[in-house]
Amino acid sequence: MKPITGDRRGVVDQRGCRSRKSPVRSLAGILRVSALIVLLSLAAASAAGPDVAVQLDVSKAGPRKIEPQTEGRILADYRLAWADIAQVLSANDPSPLGGLFVGSAKQWLDESIASQRQSGVTTRYSNQSHKLQAVFYAPEGDLIELHDVAEYDTQMLAGGKVIHEDHGVHRYVVLMTPGADRWVIRELMEVAQF
Amino acid sequence: MSWSITTISRIRKLFDVGCASVALALACSASAQEISVPRSVAAGSDTKISSTGSGAATFYLVGPGVAQKKDVSLGEDVRVAGAELRFAGKYVAIMCSETCNSSEFFVTASQPASLAFLAHPSRVPARQPDAVSGVALLFDKFDNLVLTPTSIDFQVKGASETLLSRAVSTHDGEAWFRTSSGKTAGPVRLTAAVGDLSAQRALQQVASEPCNLRITAQQTAKGLEVETEPVRDCAGNPVSDGTVVTFTGSNPEGKISIDAPIKGGVARAHMNVREPVVISAACGVAMGNELRIDQKR
Repeated sequence: MKPITGDRRGVVDQRGCRSRKSPVRSLAGILRVSALIVLLSLAAASAAGPDVAVQLDVSKAGPRKIEPQTEGRILADYRLAWADIAQVLSANDPSPLGGLFVGSAKQWLDESIASQRQSGVTTRYSNQSHKLQAVFYAPEGDLIELHDVAEYDTQMLAGGKVIHEDHGVHRYVVLMTPGADRWVIRELMEVAQF
Repeated sequence: MSWSITTISRIRKLFDVGCASVALALACSASAQEISVPRSVAAGSDTKISSTGSGAATFYLVGPGVAQKKDVSLGEDVRVAGAELRFAGKYVAIMCSETCNSSEFFVTASQPASLAFLAHPSRVPARQPDAVSGVALLFDKFDNLVLTPTSIDFQVKGASETLLSRAVSTHDGEAWFRTSSGKTAGPVRLTAAVGDLSAQRALQQVASEPCNLRITAQQTAKGLEVETEPVRDCAGNPVSDGTVVTFTGSNPEGKISIDAPIKGGVARAHMNVREPVVISAACGVAMGNELRIDQKR
């Protein structure tokens, strides 16, 4: 068997491959790569927006039956919409809004951002969990009405100081209509009860 | 009377706990302020929020479309203009002095002010079951969905018949109907109405599939001129111009097909075929009569 030889730049193993790493250096390298992976994961999570869990029950929808593909699209777009809400209201920056809001829903969201910016208030939504139930799907499929029982933490800050904190259940009546390539929210209205 | 050491110790403990509670309560009442908010407010209505205590405080109102901040005096009413409460939803009133206290209230839609009416389709064949549908949504003047159940009158009227006249109560702000199309071709008017509010839509009812397609042929110097009798559906409505009729001529040499659109209710074609020939016509699912043309006859 050929003896393992080394030089200043590393060691050559039995297969003749040159390795520049000592065991300590290898460990440091692994740690660096791990740290990089963690940072990249965090960056990716941050880019994807806040974590929003959404469930959709279409069993009571009518008069039209909801196709599985439509169900999936509504679920994805509603989740994105709430990630957008959390993002824009925590930063008071409307630019992340990805065209998922129109009409009245867009109007109040835009006005909230402008008003929060003016008064120095920010609102944070976290640990969002939404249980959506489709209650009406129009005969021609051009409108869906949903009930959302949402649970999340709210934190309102003014000048960096927490002025209000809340964890609770919220009920929303939602109207969505199909857009060119997505379902958009026309009405998003919190109610005391359904 | 003599009390045991244990009893005295227990009394002392109770006294300590009681003192601590009283001190905490006093401290809390010194820094806290009660906020009284209305239970519910109609969108666009002015309201007031009252607080207890005295001294300066900062008032915040955060809700859909608003994040208002103003300096106030504790113990005085804070007036909130209706313009700040245009969107239905939950609002949080926050009063901050040494500490912040908050209270929540809901803004609900005000009186119905507009009616969105979605009607389908824009053209419908006559005598089709459940072919016409409409959805009406009720909004207030701030575009909030009116969730209070409200009766909406739907009417669907053709030129000579009423296809539907029904009152439907809204559920979560929407009401809908579905009905069959009528017998007669022509315009159909759909109406949704609530009190003084109404919305109208129109659709065109057209003949359905042709029925009893009949053809005639005439020998001319240039060949055979074939035409249909006026093409109608089973209810007698003339089938729309532009609908294609296919004429087919078959003789021992082969088969020839000509597509001709209906014009003025009739489809015509010129066929240059040798006799004897069998001519037939088809339009949609309807097959016409066969004509046998033989020169020897």
